[in-house]
Amino acid sequence: MKKFWRCFVCNDIHYGFKPPELCPTCKVKNAYVEISAKEAKMIACAAAEGDFTKEDFRRAIEKFTAANPFKVNPDRDRTDILLEGIFSNEASHDLKYCPCRLMSKDWEEDLKIVCPCNFLIHETYQGRDKGECWCGLFIKR
Amino acid sequence: MPKLLMFHGRECPHCRAMMPLVDRLEKETGSSIERHEVWHDEKNADLMRSYRPILTPQCGGQLRVPTFLNTETNDAVCGEMPYEKLKEWATK
Ligand code: SF4
Repeated sequence: MKKFWRCFVCNDIHYGFKPPELCPTCKVKNAYVEISAKEAKMIACAAAEGDFTKEDFRRAIEKFTAANPFKVNPDRDRTDILLEGIFSNEASHDLKYCPCRLMSKDWEEDLKIVCPCNFLIHETYQGRDKGECWCGLFIKR
Repeated sequence: MPKLLMFHGRECPHCRAMMPLVDRLEKETGSSIERHEVWHDEKNADLMRSYRPILTPQCGGQLRVPTFLNTETNDAVCGEMPYEKLKEWATK
């Protein structure tokens, strides 16, 4: 089971099976100690400031794709609709669920449709010259 | 009489692209396709989820939109597709 870990130097929070050997922020070795979900939530939420808007999300996914073999679809009309759906799904169902699929209400399954999802495995992406994620938010470069 | 269902999402571009084809199909074949929007209507979402065991093996293991289901034959097709493929599904 994945657990929460806290860097005892800079308070970075990590969620995973194992703590990072080297803290990516303060570069201290063996700095992570296991903490409770409640502590992790307190620390992460206290640090969160303001809203994460559609434009913040757009910037985030553009940055995420910068060093990847895929990019955000330049078709602005398409991405505007998709972002609207993603944010509307978050408002009503708490996570940025994919507008082109539906929650099954099986938590593990539904984590697979949080945007961006692992679309590298989608048949609309794999093995295609002009591959794209199921919705067409991300396309191959 | 078999029931033809379409599950779609309001902000799904593939669903929007399929709408005119569904309109055309209804006009040309005289059939009617019941449309259910699933992200803004929990009843429709529950209806789609109730078909999960039938739909997921035919649609990449997930509940995807758009999905077209014939409730008599349990034949399902999903995603954006050419008119001919949609017609083939509807008239099979
Ligand atoms: S298919 Fe595309 S839009 Fe949908 S969740 Fe995955 S990355 Fe996001």
